[in-house]
Amino acid sequence: MKRDWKRKIIGGLCLTSVAFVFQACYGTPQDFGNDLLIEGQVTSKISGLPIKGIKVSVSESVEYAKTDENGKFSFYTGIFQNVNIKFTDIDSTQNSWFSNKDTLIIIKDSVLQSKQPKVYLNIELEKK
Amino acid sequence: MVTKLKQVLFREFKKSETKHHELNYLFWECTTRCNLNCRHCGSDCSKDSFYKDMPLDDFLKALDTIESPCEHFTVVLTGGEPLLRKDIELCGREIRKRGMRWSMVSNGYLYDNEKHISLLNAGLGALTISVDGLESSHNWLRNNDKSFERVDIAIGLAASSSRLNFDVVTCVNKRNFHELEEIRKYLIQKGVKAWRLFTIVPIGRAKEDDEMFLTDNQFIELMNFISESRTRKDIDVKFSCEGFVGKYESKVRDSNFFCRAGINIGSILIDGSISACPNIDRTFAQGNIYKDNFFSVWQTKYELFRDRSWTKTGKCAECEDYKNCQGNGFHYWHGEKKNVLVCHNERLKKTTNR
Repeated sequence: MKRDWKRKIIGGLCLTSVAFVFQACYGTPQDFGNDLLIEGQVTSKISGLPIKGIKVSVSESVEYAKTDENGKFSFYTGIFQNVNIKFTDIDSTQNSWFSNKDTLIIIKDSVLQSKQPKVYLNIELEKK
Repeated sequence: MVTKLKQVLFREFKKSETKHHELNYLFWECTTRCNLNCRHCGSDCSKDSFYKDMPLDDFLKALDTIESPCEHFTVVLTGGEPLLRKDIELCGREIRKRGMRWSMVSNGYLYDNEKHISLLNAGLGALTISVDGLESSHNWLRNNDKSFERVDIAIGLAASSSRLNFDVVTCVNKRNFHELEEIRKYLIQKGVKAWRLFTIVPIGRAKEDDEMFLTDNQFIELMNFISESRTRKDIDVKFSCEGFVGKYESKVRDSNFFCRAGINIGSILIDGSISACPNIDRTFAQGNIYKDNFFSVWQTKYELFRDRSWTKTGKCAECEDYKNCQGNGFHYWHGEKKNVLVCHNERLKKTTNR
């Protein structure tokens, strides 16, 4: 911690605010972690069994995942205070026919400020 | 006076950074296969690689030796072309599971909408794509007629993501030198926010190709172009960290020249070698993950990277700017290591004094 202060003071005195932000010649810019990990499981409200093939997406975002045979999903998306997550049955009647669902989640400040923000959702879908 | 003071302070800052050598940027040369056969390649890769891709588990074992990685620790997947790995998303997810971040350098040829989404899903946080000119000059350097068409799609997708820290890099050569302003306009129109310009290192297959290298006058014009572009603020243009550029230092970059190879930047190369940036002479390898503990090597070796006094030889021996430059970029020391391959500062001084 002491060394971090010293580093910041010397770097700051160099009058270059980016002394700590660098990229190697043939490398990429640094990743400052503007993302949120969304994980969870989708099950049937009636049977409690996992549902495969449900598309899980975020409004106004390109990222999405499909649930696996255990109904599980996991993907990173942009980080915002409010995230609207959509669950859509896209495989028609292959695993029965489930109603779509939208869930608005409000991300707590403690999650937003954590090193790797993530949320876990258990979602039940009703059969049509 | 202020410039001198800043230089003194920056030298102190570099000393402090070197002493603590916090690892926060790790290249992983995950493949040396490539789908292109460019006229120039920082890693001298080609379509036929001698090496098999490094198994993910081998890399993870080395990664797991790192004790308490720093806050923004990033693994940079490089190659070859990383997108040729079928398990690229799995690689990314495994890195993220360890509380670390990952990014990638790509030629963009395979970066389509589906790949864009799957990489974002896997937690890709930063990306660099090479654009080496407008269509004709890009395809010429990339040795592929469809290369520009494909990279155009790739940069459009990457620029559309608000969470990707994305930039475009361009290797400036005699063919694309006269297009720089047009390339700048093109990138702005594509929504690109950051553009880094390089010159080409005279190593590997580029060494004998005169069209790859700028004349001294062109090099000074490049500095002027970058300097002028930075005043316009419509795209963040900068010269790469490849070398010390004397009086242009504060005009072409956000920060003074500081080659952090082996100080903050490490690498695990395709054969398991432990080194720094992948374009550095491979005889500088400090160990091998198949024999050594990666983090122990990082903590206890790298003497030649952290004490650069050995570079005070050849043209650097009597140089008045040595204390600010310290032998230019580490990747300019090849072969016998008796002289720096390129001195940007010398080129600039020579041209200015004519």
